[in-house]
Amino acid sequence: MSAVSVHQLAQCITCHAWSPDHSMIALCPNNNEVHIYKMSEDKWERAHVLQKHDQIVSGIDWGSTSNKIVTVSHDRNSYVWSLEGSEWVPTLVILRLNRAALCTQWSPQENKFAVGSGAKTVCICYYEQENNWWVSKLIRKRHNSSVTSVSWHPNNILLATTSTDGKCRVFSTFIKGVDKRDSKASSSSEAKFGEQIVQLDLSYSWAFGVKWSPSGNTLAYVGHNSMIYFVDDVGPSPLAQNVALRNLPLRDVLFISEKVVIGVGYDCNPMVFAADESGIWSFVRFLVETKTVSSAPTYGSQVRRGLILTLENSSVFS
Amino acid sequence: MAGVGEFVEADNAEAIITRIEHKSSKIESLLRQGKHVEALKTALEGSPPNTRDERCKSANWIVVHRALMAIRDLDALFSSLDPEYYDILMKYLYRGLSTGDRPTCDQCLRVHERLTQKAGLGCILRTLTDTVNTV
Repeated sequence: MSAVSVHQLAQCITCHAWSPDHSMIALCPNNNEVHIYKMSEDKWERAHVLQKHDQIVSGIDWGSTSNKIVTVSHDRNSYVWSLEGSEWVPTLVILRLNRAALCTQWSPQENKFAVGSGAKTVCICYYEQENNWWVSKLIRKRHNSSVTSVSWHPNNILLATTSTDGKCRVFSTFIKGVDKRDSKASSSSEAKFGEQIVQLDLSYSWAFGVKWSPSGNTLAYVGHNSMIYFVDDVGPSPLAQNVALRNLPLRDVLFISEKVVIGVGYDCNPMVFAADESGIWSFVRFLVETKTVSSAPTYGSQVRRGLILTLENSSVFS
Repeated sequence: MAGVGEFVEADNAEAIITRIEHKSSKIESLLRQGKHVEALKTALEGSPPNTRDERCKSANWIVVHRALMAIRDLDALFSSLDPEYYDILMKYLYRGLSTGDRPTCDQCLRVHERLTQKAGLGCILRTLTDTVNTV
């Protein structure tokens, strides 16, 4: 179905995001700009340059239903970009941070986005119709160090974070007037804004790259101690597993199904992990060894510094 | 691991020291029988990384050092040492290297080379990043 192709779009790519139909990609070439590339005749061509930030852009996310792009930067600000005609129009979102913003993600319903920062805080931003304004609400005094990644649970309320204090935490981000109480009142949907649901204390070193599985039943994240952690039953009594790696640490992970995870990191070769029937996770293989396999699944994780951006054109993962 | 940690923390230092003394005499008898690998395994087992008591850590290091220095045949060591011991052995190798003692460092470097081949760079990273459960 797809052959892996390599496109050198920039010397170094700090972050990237796919467009909803995967025909375009927004990336930061390690400066204050965001470049949008479009596929035309088997070649990626630069279609737009988004210039508004003053410093390195550290996070990009492209909303799959709203088609809005959110960017965050070391300049401590965020912009929401919407396509009007053929122009990307920015709206400034003041995050109220005193340190760099490091990562961002749209919530599943795309009415909120989360920003992790070097100020030991997480910003939850939402749109206020009456003021025509994005508001940033902060989760303070919960992290002891920088927040390295954020991930939304499919229920649009729970947010998982990883931090350089080694911990992975899950918070409620319920905002009155934006979110509705779930009729099947589970314990997690009753929590107030900023309430910590669980703190996972598995790693003693920096934690990165947290992700929920598509159903939200499993949480995966990585530690800088060459470990990957899988957590089931996130709540009062979580069930944690860890897999020690033989090689250098990972930086980010991506669920391609409930039972398969791709990890990317400092070995410059994505790793495949899978859970067996009893739910035990283990390392399966490196991705690059299997170039010849035609049915390799699509992935679009944040490929970090030092890795060549690898793009695949097979079916869109859901 | 967490369960073990709580247990050790609740234990008092004296009990740990007594256990290590008991372990020490067992290791001496294994060494007399020429079971060097068994002696090292015994020394590594029940290492007290979860306690903050430096006396316990030192006492166990003396025992591990005794068994480690007796190892001559590295092929035999790594053919019978299970992967579960790799991370804790690596921690003790770095403790050995930090002593600066010439024969200890020589032995630790020899074992380190083979252990890295066997356990990979991930094992070194787990040792270097873990500043809480030190040996």
